[in-house]
Amino acid sequence: MRNLLHDMNPSVKFGVVTVSMLAVAFFFNPWTPLLFWVSVLALQIALSRINWKIWLLFMLPFTLGAFGYLWTTVIFSAETGGTVIWSFAGLDVTDAQWTTALSLSFRVMAFSTLSLMFAFTTDPVKFIMSLMQQLKLSPKLAYGIMVGYQFLPVMKDEFIQIQQAHRLRGADTEKHWWQRLFSMRRVIIPMLAGAVRKAERSAFAMEARGFTGEARTAFYRPVQVGRTDFLLAGVFMLLLVGSCVGGVILSAP
Amino acid sequence: MRVRESVFTLESVSFRFPDDSEKTLDNISFSIFRGERVVISGPSGCGKSTLLYLLNRLYPVNCDGMVSGNIFIFSKPAELYAPGEINHRIATVFQDPDSQFCMPTVEEELAFTLENLHVPFAGMETRMVEILELTGLADLRHANIQSLSGGMKQRVATACALIMKPEVLLLDEPISHLDPFTAKEFISWLDELQRQFDLTIVVVEHRLDAWETFFQREISMDGNGEIIADQDFSARRPILFPERVSAMSGETAISVTDLSVKLKEKMLLNSFSFKAKRGEIVAIAGPNGSGKSTLAKALCGIHKKSSGRIQSDGIGYVPQSPEYLFLTQSVKDELAFSGLASREELTELMERLGMDGIKEAHPFSVSHGQKRRVAIGAMLADKRPVLLMDEPTSGQDEAALYELFDLIDGRARDGSTVFIITHDMEFAASIADSVLLIKDGQLTGKFAARDVWQNEQLLAEHHLLPPKGVAKLAESFA
Repeated sequence: MRNLLHDMNPSVKFGVVTVSMLAVAFFFNPWTPLLFWVSVLALQIALSRINWKIWLLFMLPFTLGAFGYLWTTVIFSAETGGTVIWSFAGLDVTDAQWTTALSLSFRVMAFSTLSLMFAFTTDPVKFIMSLMQQLKLSPKLAYGIMVGYQFLPVMKDEFIQIQQAHRLRGADTEKHWWQRLFSMRRVIIPMLAGAVRKAERSAFAMEARGFTGEARTAFYRPVQVGRTDFLLAGVFMLLLVGSCVGGVILSAP
Repeated sequence: MRVRESVFTLESVSFRFPDDSEKTLDNISFSIFRGERVVISGPSGCGKSTLLYLLNRLYPVNCDGMVSGNIFIFSKPAELYAPGEINHRIATVFQDPDSQFCMPTVEEELAFTLENLHVPFAGMETRMVEILELTGLADLRHANIQSLSGGMKQRVATACALIMKPEVLLLDEPISHLDPFTAKEFISWLDELQRQFDLTIVVVEHRLDAWETFFQREISMDGNGEIIADQDFSARRPILFPERVSAMSGETAISVTDLSVKLKEKMLLNSFSFKAKRGEIVAIAGPNGSGKSTLAKALCGIHKKSSGRIQSDGIGYVPQSPEYLFLTQSVKDELAFSGLASREELTELMERLGMDGIKEAHPFSVSHGQKRRVAIGAMLADKRPVLLMDEPTSGQDEAALYELFDLIDGRARDGSTVFIITHDMEFAASIADSVLLIKDGQLTGKFAARDVWQNEQLLAEHHLLPPKGVAKLAESFA
């Protein structure tokens, strides 16, 4: 059970997430994003095995953002009319303002939770492979991304080496962040020069092994779309439709 | 006698890159026959890699280069092959172990090759198992490639080439990033595979002594991209460096007591104590991952030490890629960066290091040997007379090694203390006064150089090969 979201076909998952986001974006009541947010959370608790500590850490900035939306919309939004429900220090908060504010912040929460669900339950390599097999992404692009992905740890290593060397020369003593940001170019330029060389070598190595970029006829690890994928997609769609309909009913005057 | 079947035939081939005015290859003619083991040798930058890329059809398409003359591959003009077609029969292994792979695991990397060849799904498994058995890599099937050592990566790259069932294997300086011990293992492994598969092998290489008697034929090129000789291969003697007299003085330049480095509860260096004198050249050697670089970085202050004491006149560090140190737009500014040396001192330093001609050049645009000079110059200008050099011998050709020898010898004569991290025991034997042997984060000891070279057991314990010149000397005494 708890593997279901992890084993779900990445392309199908990607499609479902995209459709859900687009759909929820068209509802301006606060209930739809709230309902959808809660149901995505429930789904994630039931069907995945993720490290909730790290998840909370990633949610922190989004939650702050959501609160920021709430706050600014309540305080600074244009006069929209409606009944005043709360007065404080000369500020009048109307029910219309309050509804918009809640709608916006729940939307932030719903979207970020949905994105994190995708990120936390999807293996990037499998995602690329699936994009190539199900959504016909060109192999040239797919393997290009794969090479870049393999380079990340090497680049990180190089970055640390260069920084250490620069510190040795006493170049890392700028006090302010903008000065440090500006001096980053000294690290970035040698790294980019190295990356271009590496990229060319990788391209040669791939070509020398018969890679021409044309579509493949057989895959060693076929990424399939099975019954459970349709089932899970169905569950998502049900929750989506349920949240939309429920939201409209609950917010009806 | 059987008529020998030609694999490659080149008839007065010349090659020029679109941006260059001079030809990279000039009037090259030769034939390579089935089952031959050929080496193409020559100094760095002589065009031998370019020649290899013409043989596997990566050039001229990928660089818009201009080719004249005729290239026949399996007796068919090269330009008649469709893109990718010839790469099924001619496989290539490249020099950099870090940029030959696009997938995370060994298995997936092999599968990438099979998918390129449109091998049907049913046939993939057998072919993969077969090649993993033959290459002795069966245990590594699910291993993450990035976590493997350089030597293992090169074996994986070779396995990926052999899984195509090629008739020809091209290797572009395959051992230049490996230490001599690993390189020797790789070569004997390759030797066995060649016999099993009856491959034609063409290798581009600038250091031939490590290959011993592997090859049958040698095509040598000069710096102008011309062939100067095409003859039977004869095993090379290692490079002979000039005799040098130690420049060691009586004064202690650096004294280390009980130096330990701990990282997250892991002991990287455990209680190192040693001393070195002014003018002394010390080789630091030991297996990969034993803590050589950590020691260098701890000495110059990049890594924090956990305990112990380092007393010295100031310690500088030259990384394997010297350009990592560079911060400015010209060689002159690079030396003056710290502002610790006076104008007169800088002028004198540049003269001593032979950098007068490149004063105004951008430090990234000079040659690798010159970059190293600039890096050393910068360290000396920062008043760091104890120099630590991280793997300066790796991937260097003969001329570069001579230049390095002179550079290091010269610094020792000026009174600097030089530590060299190296696997190259021939180089160490020719230049070092003493040797620091390190294993698993422990200091085995600091030895006088001449005591180490004959002690084969001690060297083998540290994954080192005895320097060949010394081994021969020992034999003649016996």
